[in-house]
Amino acid sequence: MTSQLCHIERIIGDRAEPGLAHRLHHLAHEGRVETVTVAVADLPRRRFRAVTDQGTECAIALPRDTRLFDGAVLLLEDDRAIVVKVGEQEWLKLRPAEGFALELGYLAGNLHWRVRFADGHLLVAVDVPRERYLARIEEHLAAGRVTLVDG
Amino acid sequence: MSKGAARVGIGGPVGSGKTALLEALIPRLKARGVDLAVITNDLVTHEDAERLRRANLLDPSRVLAVEAGACPHTVIREDPTLNMEAADSLDRAFPGLQLILIESGGDNLASTFSLDLVDYWLFVIDVAGGDDIPRKRGPGILQCDLLVINKVDLHEHVGVDLPRMLEEAKAVRAGRPIVCTNCRKGDGVDQVADAICHAVLFQDA
Ligand SMILES: Nc1nc2c(ncn2[C@@H]2O[C@H](COP(=O)(O)OP(=O)(O)O)[C@@H](O)[C@H]2O)c(=O)[nH]1
Ligand SMILES: [Mg+2]
Repeated sequence: MTSQLCHIERIIGDRAEPGLAHRLHHLAHEGRVETVTVAVADLPRRRFRAVTDQGTECAIALPRDTRLFDGAVLLLEDDRAIVVKVGEQEWLKLRPAEGFALELGYLAGNLHWRVRFADGHLLVAVDVPRERYLARIEEHLAAGRVTLVDG
Repeated sequence: MSKGAARVGIGGPVGSGKTALLEALIPRLKARGVDLAVITNDLVTHEDAERLRRANLLDPSRVLAVEAGACPHTVIREDPTLNMEAADSLDRAFPGLQLILIESGGDNLASTFSLDLVDYWLFVIDVAGGDDIPRKRGPGILQCDLLVINKVDLHEHVGVDLPRMLEEAKAVRAGRPIVCTNCRKGDGVDQVADAICHAVLFQDA
């Protein structure tokens, strides 16, 4: 672990860009590509501290018009690179009982949940521990108006 | 576009002590050499901005007011453009600016800040709101980067079990930081300043 902060003030590019991919490939072979994992919910952040998988402490301060993405290259030196990895988004899959879909949709909107819809199911982005979402629909789950679908 | 100043939100219910926290924070941050400005979000008047300007803690031109209208959470979450424009204008007006503190208009426990607007945000609750507040798990309490429990001087007067309130807050926040303050006296405010300086200015006292 280094105690020195690694200051990052811009995104160099996407790891998939040919020029970058080539250099990263070589560094990766030597185990010199470090990753910073950022949760989906934290992607809009421009200024924060983060620690790479190899323990490098980073002070990230990006321009306001920049947005992080999976594969963003934050540092590229002769002997080291730092790349962003976006944490996998977990979804809660909810199935409303017949006639309850509107109400469930209203509830989700009212609670400002981030949602998607897929084949009659409501997908809720898990940004805080999943129990907290379930607690809000406890009664509906118990009464069978909403079912939690696994997977 | 340059990176500009760090933007820090201060949310929480009306009367919890957001403006009082600002009043206590500003001189402490200035003493640390932080170049700062403030944006207040008042419902219809510019009361908080006027209060800060009158207190003479900052040059009045460093205190901007955004009118939140009837729905204070809208301007910090769903459509923070007014606040973003105000912050951009401060960045332009004060080139060496390091920090912009944004006080929300006061809302219920559900208010959160958009990360498009701020880099880091605090949520201020007070002990007079009752020790069961953390257990109610409002999104503000759960999701903020730093939870401030203010008016700790009042806990005995309002019959609140402060240690229990803290325990519950810790439990629902899964280890994320909490600071207890008395903004009238300034207790705990240095810790809030430390947290902000560490997290977004990358400075440790
Ligand atoms: N006793 C006590 N009163 C406080 C404290 N902080 C704020 N207050 C008072 O609480 C009231 C509301 O504070 P204010 O900062 O205007 O709340 P805001 O609506 O969240 O901005 C004011 O009368 C403050 O003087 C504190 O730590 N202890
Ligand atoms: Mg106020």
